[in-house]
Amino acid sequence: MKCLLKNALIGFFCFFLVSPVLFAAGQQDAADDELEIATVVKITGIPWFNRMEEGVKQAKSELGIDSYQIGPSDADPAQQVRMVEDLINKGVDAICITPNDANALEPAFLKAKMKGIKIITHESPDQNGKDYDVELIDNIKFGRHFWDMMVKYMGDSGQYAIFVGGLTVPLHNLWADEGLKYAKEKYPNLELITERIPCGEDQELSKQTTLELIKTYPDLKGIIGFGSLGPPGAAQALKEKGLAGKVTVVGTVLPDHAAPYLKEGSMQHGILWDPKDAGFAMTWIAKQLVEGKSIKSGMEIPGLGKVELDGDVIKVDAVIDITKDNVGSFGF
Amino acid sequence: MKKLLKYHETYLLIIIVLLSIVITTKNANFFTAENMFDLLKSNSFVGIMAIGVLLVLISGGIDISFAAIATVSEYIMAVTIIRIGGSVLSAIAIAVLIGTLLGFLNGYLIYKFRIPPIIATIATMNIYYGSLMVITGGKWIYSLPDWFRSFAEIRLLTFLNSNGNPYGLSVITVIWFLVIIVAVVILRFTILGRSIYALGGNRNSAVRVGFNVFLTETFVYSFLGFMAGLAGVVQALLVQAVAPNSIVGKELDVIAAVVLGGASLSGGKGSVPGAILGVALLAILKNGMTMMAVPAVWYEFFVGAVILVSIGFSSYQDKKKSNNTAIIDVKEQESLC
Repeated sequence: MKCLLKNALIGFFCFFLVSPVLFAAGQQDAADDELEIATVVKITGIPWFNRMEEGVKQAKSELGIDSYQIGPSDADPAQQVRMVEDLINKGVDAICITPNDANALEPAFLKAKMKGIKIITHESPDQNGKDYDVELIDNIKFGRHFWDMMVKYMGDSGQYAIFVGGLTVPLHNLWADEGLKYAKEKYPNLELITERIPCGEDQELSKQTTLELIKTYPDLKGIIGFGSLGPPGAAQALKEKGLAGKVTVVGTVLPDHAAPYLKEGSMQHGILWDPKDAGFAMTWIAKQLVEGKSIKSGMEIPGLGKVELDGDVIKVDAVIDITKDNVGSFGF
Repeated sequence: MKKLLKYHETYLLIIIVLLSIVITTKNANFFTAENMFDLLKSNSFVGIMAIGVLLVLISGGIDISFAAIATVSEYIMAVTIIRIGGSVLSAIAIAVLIGTLLGFLNGYLIYKFRIPPIIATIATMNIYYGSLMVITGGKWIYSLPDWFRSFAEIRLLTFLNSNGNPYGLSVITVIWFLVIIVAVVILRFTILGRSIYALGGNRNSAVRVGFNVFLTETFVYSFLGFMAGLAGVVQALLVQAVAPNSIVGKELDVIAAVVLGGASLSGGKGSVPGAILGVALLAILKNGMTMMAVPAVWYEFFVGAVILVSIGFSSYQDKKKSNNTAIIDVKEQESLC
């Protein structure tokens, strides 16, 4: 009996060892005459990149190519580099990627170039070694837009606070920097009460921080939240304290998550771009490049609009404004 | 008075009181009933898990997987109440059942195969969390039923603040208080409680004295699993949404709070009041920094400094004490069983 159990256990472990191979086997046999374009994301299994995968799948069915999305289980630059190298060895036609670390990927991109594989990046305009970078927003305009929207709801004077996902998250802090510079000139009567607070990736923490802020600064009139969990946390706290609507909340949010807060009025305005568009746009651009077409200003990406070419950065203006009236219409 | 100074808890309390006085002089809103009730509510989640972790630490073990257990229980609970419906009680029942099972599995692995607890639970953490990610693909759940959402707003005591807004003792805080009472009863008044201390103090002695080590060891991990399941429900009540990645990463905060409260990582030491004070100190510190308008870049620095000071006080007392005692080194004999 004991022996049987032991063998069963060993068998079980052996299965675990080979199971990755079993699962991987399904992916390999793509037809060779089809274009193969892979998208590598920062991390799999979060709503943002799940949504991006929908765009990649849309490209697969609409463009008749073999496109798929992969990514590491946590936002680890080294794992991402390994994935890119695997794709190069596999011989894909193009790689679309949202880099975790721009520098770490450079050597791998060089290797890809030597094999004639095209590299398209997203959220990394200064990346070395890429063919093109696709941006769905103009980061400077995007940052300023938050201040404009907050002012629209709370007026152009009063105290406000900023949440970021972390003090080292590049884009959040870039938007905050740009917005603050802009506000200094355009809205001199706005008063930032404290330095930006790193709580925007944790809803509970954002809620608690908001509770503390309204006790410390009773005249607080607005909150700008970068990081998709900041605004919902703030909205929850305001609702609990009966301040919904009295303090304006504007920020980056996923529409479905923000829907209840926008509808009950504890949050006023969400600003974002649709990661699905990014997934589709990257794959679409990659296909053009592999087919030998060149990218020009004024070209139109189906469903997204005209592109603007700035060096090797392709810009499409695809900012979405999320309000209580349209929040149900995005599907993510 | 002299007797009180022997306890680690006394030093923690002194530091909490000093810190509170400093914060209150800067911002009178800190020491108000409203802020205290808010703090109690939002820290229930960490507090409940801290009680579970405390028992594991006392028994000489450690568990890294409880955040993953909380996530898995929370997720399954949410899916079930959305698909099938139910009540808050059935939601809690589902979550704690799953939590207890996963915790029991930890305890069983650790007892049966004598895998070092930290390795075993790192492995199970990855398995629990990994399976959840495979099955759900990381999808978030926003559409919790209304009866579940509104349960979070129930208050047992209600007051009105100067703006006429209600605040008070939340039902979530009451769950935490009940958990505290259960833990005190187990540790203080049952043989099981004594066996947990005995196991953490010296495993061999515990076996020889006749404690059922299997029972004790699986109990502490199952108990933590139970608490993690409960904490999962509390988290869903607090946040009103379920995200697979929102709890993972909080393990260390919880363990830090419990250790700050005097529990020893090598086992045999720790108390419920200590664990609560540990949670309270970290909570008040974080709360106070915003209330005192300290810039956010300083947060981590102050958290570290306060931990160092409060642990330093009592460790120094221990050192002074041990200077006065002789150390007799007896070579431990290998047990044959």
